[in-house]
Amino acid sequence: MRELVARYLSHSISRRTFLKGLTASGISLTAARSILDSLVPAAHAQTGEAVKIVEGSGALCFAEQLIASGVKYVFGNSASEDAQFYEALVDRPQIKYILTPHEGPGAAMAAGYVKASGEPTIVMQAAVVGLVNAMGQMFNAFKEQTPLVFYSYRTDQTGRAGRDGFEEVANQEGIVAPLTKYSWLARRADMIPETVRRAFKAAWTPPYGPTYASWHSDLNDERVRTEVILREKFDPRMRVRPNPAEVERAAKLLVEARMPLMIVGDEVYGAKAVPKAVKLAELLGMPVTQARQIYASFPETHPLWVGALPVGRVASLDYPKDPDVVINIGNKLQHNSPTPMIGRGPKFIDMRIDSWSMGNVMSTEVPLVADVGYGLDDLTAAVEHIITPSFKDKAAARAQEVRKFSEKAKALRALVSKNPDWDRAPMIADRVTWEVAQFADPDAIIVHEAGSVNLHGFNFDPERGRELFYYYGAHLGSGVGTAAGVKLARPNRQVICLVGDGSFVFGPTALWNMARLELPVITVVYNNHAYSGPHSRVIEKVPGGRMVQTGHFFHDYLGSPDMNMAWIAKGFGVEAEVAESPAQLKAALARARKATVEGKPYLIDAQVARMGVAWADKPWFPRK
Amino acid sequence: MRASAPTEKNRDRPLKIVTVTISLIVVLFVSSKASAQQKPKPPGFPDAPGKETLMSKCFQCHSPAMWMDHRQDRKGWEGTLFRMVGRGALWNEDEIKAMADYLGAVYGRKPQ
Repeated sequence: MRELVARYLSHSISRRTFLKGLTASGISLTAARSILDSLVPAAHAQTGEAVKIVEGSGALCFAEQLIASGVKYVFGNSASEDAQFYEALVDRPQIKYILTPHEGPGAAMAAGYVKASGEPTIVMQAAVVGLVNAMGQMFNAFKEQTPLVFYSYRTDQTGRAGRDGFEEVANQEGIVAPLTKYSWLARRADMIPETVRRAFKAAWTPPYGPTYASWHSDLNDERVRTEVILREKFDPRMRVRPNPAEVERAAKLLVEARMPLMIVGDEVYGAKAVPKAVKLAELLGMPVTQARQIYASFPETHPLWVGALPVGRVASLDYPKDPDVVINIGNKLQHNSPTPMIGRGPKFIDMRIDSWSMGNVMSTEVPLVADVGYGLDDLTAAVEHIITPSFKDKAAARAQEVRKFSEKAKALRALVSKNPDWDRAPMIADRVTWEVAQFADPDAIIVHEAGSVNLHGFNFDPERGRELFYYYGAHLGSGVGTAAGVKLARPNRQVICLVGDGSFVFGPTALWNMARLELPVITVVYNNHAYSGPHSRVIEKVPGGRMVQTGHFFHDYLGSPDMNMAWIAKGFGVEAEVAESPAQLKAALARARKATVEGKPYLIDAQVARMGVAWADKPWFPRK
Repeated sequence: MRASAPTEKNRDRPLKIVTVTISLIVVLFVSSKASAQQKPKPPGFPDAPGKETLMSKCFQCHSPAMWMDHRQDRKGWEGTLFRMVGRGALWNEDEIKAMADYLGAVYGRKPQ
């Protein structure tokens, strides 16, 4: 018997062979099973950290693989066919299930958690009907390169698939193919953990992105015996160093440049490489800018910071006007016009792990495919190796020139408060932004989904100060959920969600999660009862047209009746109020702080004026 | 802050927003005279003090036709220009005053 136990624990024999061996030696089947049950924990322990054999329902194996994958939170919406998964959770307190009342904000919450924690998680939906609700945020995750794993079963069981049954759609896993790095249907219950592992591996292998795993619902119920593998043993943790020859070429170009310019992006924040970007910029006396991304990836108070690209093109910068070498460190460089973001004049060095995006639009002199942390290390070392004392003087002089500009720009940006409408009610959006910037903690995290509101006055500094979580994918309704997820991940930081009224009504349900989980987020809704961006853009496309002549805009006015976001928040259990004037906003922010100190979320519906072309005091709107 | 809605003209979905509305002028501020000189001078902008400042600051993104649709008094134009500062425009007070004077005179309120 002793030998049998040893062979079972070392996985030399199966469970069935073990039972046969015991009964053959005269032990009753009941007693043999009892012995076997007592050995199961030991068998798991025997497998060590790497591989564990689990036995149970397919859904139990799924839960075990999630634990092995490092998942602490699961974000889901009620799904009947996941019954065995819920059953498994009862005895697996390592996984906390967060019930989200709508899959979209639920996925946004999961994405916010991933972005703020760097930890893996999974979003679960009920079959295809839940999946399609989550797909808007899947699109965001794809555009934003967020490593988020999605799962939903197929309601159709294996034995009845293909009959156009309830909640059945052909090629369910194919629906998400253009929005994911990997999507797969597990064919057998014992393949569930492997499918889940591949989903996590693909999502977390740079460049990151969403993945999708699925299987027929009856596989959740089927009993199987299969392997579960720890994350460390299937995640390649790929960190790539750049080609040394290319590094030398890049260093030479930068040192010989008359006016180099650095663009930073999300890969810098993601790799925690902000100090490295600062070091390289300082070494070269090089101005730094950023094209639209999620995070602020360079300290905006640094004297080499010259501001973000005004319209996403280097040529639109006020300074420097004529860079001869441009280096991109980890920015996706989202093109929103036919004109290349970096003109054909400057020599362009592109450093990022997202090799797929390199060279697609820009003429690239030096490609540096790398984890930008390693890339910055190597490039800085190469620059240090070739610079001379006279170069240091040149770099110092250039840095001084950049500093002069950045100080002037700082003074000019402060003029925003000289607006003659500064004290009006309802408020101008800039006043709301300014008040929040004055109010926010020095290390607050700002989640920003307020369409055309340009933030100012926050002085983001991802290393030592405030952090920004902007939206990039633009499937709206992500802000409130993202803020809830960020607060879950960073409970000790003040989290403020800035959101437009239009965006807000796409995804307010995460307020309920804030209330239930006591996630003290302050949400400020810029509420002008309108889609102002689309209003302006249609006028740009049809200037002087019938819409302008008649004031008949079909698509932009959200008033009559006006939506009251404070009432919506209260309905979800979040204390809230409406602020009409700057004085009311200040008082409301003070009450918001008090609430959050007590662990409660708070919402302010800030009334904002509609300003701009062809806005009537009482806009026309289509009636039935 | 980073570039925002007005630069994303191809978006299918309405980009709900807030105020700031980009009125006409809006978003795009290039201070280089060189950039302005590369474009043909738009019609509808008679010579008057402040015109050159306006031409050099606003036309990289904004089509001239859009301007024709908006009329407001000088104070309204001044408010619009300061909102552009909130969007990242780096203008000093003299430049804003010159542009507001010009726009108030050329694109002031239509006679009732």
